[in-house]
Amino acid sequence: MSAPNAAATAGLPAVPAGPAAACRTAAGLPRLLAGPPAGPDPQAALADHLNGQGHLPRRLDSSALLAEVTAAGLAGRGGAAFPAARKLAAVRSAAGGPAVVVANGAEGEPASCKDAALLWHAPHLVLDGLQLAAAACGADTAVVCLHGGRQGLRWHLEAAIGARRAAGLDALAVQVRELPPRFLAGEETALVGYLDGGAAVPAFKQHRVFERGAGGRPTLVQNVETLAHLALIARHGAAWFRAVGTSAEPGSVLCTVTGADGSTRVAEAALGTGIGELLSVDDSVQAVLAGGYHGGWLTPGQARALRLSNADLKPAGAFVGAGVLAALPAGVCGLAETAAVVRYLALESAGQCGPCLNGLPSIAAALATLARPRPARAELANLRRWSGLVTGRGACHHPDGTVRFVSSALRVFAAEIAAHAGGRCTARAGAAFLPVPAAAAAESDWR
Amino acid sequence: MGITSSTALWYASRATGVVALVLLTAVLVLGIMVTRKRSLPGLPRFGTTGLHRNLSLLAVAFVALHVLTAIADPFVTIGIAAAVIPFTSPYETLWVGLGAVSLDLMGALVVTSLLRARIGRRTWRAVHWLGYAAWPVALAHSVWSSKDLQHGWLLYLGISCAAAVVLAAAWRLAAALVQPRRAELPAATLARLERTHRPGYARTGAR
Repeated sequence: MSAPNAAATAGLPAVPAGPAAACRTAAGLPRLLAGPPAGPDPQAALADHLNGQGHLPRRLDSSALLAEVTAAGLAGRGGAAFPAARKLAAVRSAAGGPAVVVANGAEGEPASCKDAALLWHAPHLVLDGLQLAAAACGADTAVVCLHGGRQGLRWHLEAAIGARRAAGLDALAVQVRELPPRFLAGEETALVGYLDGGAAVPAFKQHRVFERGAGGRPTLVQNVETLAHLALIARHGAAWFRAVGTSAEPGSVLCTVTGADGSTRVAEAALGTGIGELLSVDDSVQAVLAGGYHGGWLTPGQARALRLSNADLKPAGAFVGAGVLAALPAGVCGLAETAAVVRYLALESAGQCGPCLNGLPSIAAALATLARPRPARAELANLRRWSGLVTGRGACHHPDGTVRFVSSALRVFAAEIAAHAGGRCTARAGAAFLPVPAAAAAESDWR
Repeated sequence: MGITSSTALWYASRATGVVALVLLTAVLVLGIMVTRKRSLPGLPRFGTTGLHRNLSLLAVAFVALHVLTAIADPFVTIGIAAAVIPFTSPYETLWVGLGAVSLDLMGALVVTSLLRARIGRRTWRAVHWLGYAAWPVALAHSVWSSKDLQHGWLLYLGISCAAAVVLAAAWRLAAALVQPRRAELPAATLARLERTHRPGYARTGAR
């Protein structure tokens, strides 16, 4: 594995117009966030984009693009890191009518805002990528899906699409859809179910959506950041893309970085960058969450030693996921934080599969007692047993991801568990640190 | 009329018909009672569906015996064609015809269930709704194509079968009305658990 590029990060605020955050740029980063933020004037924003990034190559054969993406080794940036070229090729060769292409910006992860930040900052990169992907797999329908309730972002995006249409840039009209603001709504079968007029709940995979998805047609669902990378690969080629990152996990990735002081920023970093370079892990930090609420906790020592790559994080029980990194300050109870998040995750279950519907609430309730002094002795054993019982048995990976998060907490906060068993919580602050949206658990919320 | 070589088939046909009715009723009741969320009390869901499946195959065997003995029986003249093509039997045209209708519907249920993996769950499910049509037709056939079920303990058996189906259907409808909807289930489960998990108290075993 090649040595990762050193300190390659660039920050940007998660809001459209604001003071530019301090940027540390190295080795050609930032890439996705290189241009100026898209301003309120759509025409000017499009002109800025075309001046900064240049037009897409006029004659780009779709098989040449596919070869380039394959050579680039671009992996999906929505969390699962599935090879983008494999999906693209599958949709391209699937029978069943013209394909549907979806730019997935339904960012359900509460600790992440990198998709929204990217859409605010560089909507045209995402829209370029969407058109390229649509052309590459012969699609006749292109959709951008957003996390529900972000009206401003929707207008911003529709203005960008309007400017492109006026400039005659796009071969295919693009629709914008808002998904229900639920944790699982962006899971690809849930998303396809919603586009088909149903509830945005994960489905059992009789067919992969790239074979038979929206309207029974082959459907390409790619995270918005993946499509933005695609637009850059089409311009600059695979070798350029691989110039940063590791050889197994090339390229850069957008991260939502929350410091121990509670400040959140979106940063673009090369895969393989040390976590300690992205996030200050000093004595004020007791643990670092990597990968979001389906990811895992790391000890400060692990966080300082490990790099931002699945090769490093997976053995430690976490993963890159959608690029969430959050430092938990000392003085906050890690168990209480974990319990609050798991309670939220349990309530976000679609209520379809037994292990998730019964298992996650049981795990959440047991964690809630563990988070208080003097929990019943059986709770820890119950948690371990239940964690083993729910894994790999749902229609989606919601139970598996939740259990990964819980297991990492039991490991990293072992000292706190011992303190609680002794009747003492070491926390000084009672306030919740990690963002946990209010639960909305009515059937209608999925539609 | 005692059992002789000439009446054996006639008795066999009526007896297997009665047993088939009881089995089909049990199959329908099990089918009604197993839902996405509920099962028979004391039996896991896969147990209920397994029982439903096995009993339905047993019922099919008895229905087959019932039909074959009726065709073979010299006492009445029901041809092979009349057993499957409704309302072509010279004997009790309407009531034997209903039997044929029911047989055809059951045939559709069995074939689609055997091909469930190939035709997809949605198609299978659509066809499976026919079960609700097949059973009343079979009951009407049972009661009126011979006098057996019109008096005595067989009459009570017929009434019991009908009552069982009506009760099961009522239970299912009531459960559907009371049951929290799918997306509300995790919240309901969590609320129940949070009531029972009190801080500082051991829930299971001594501390």
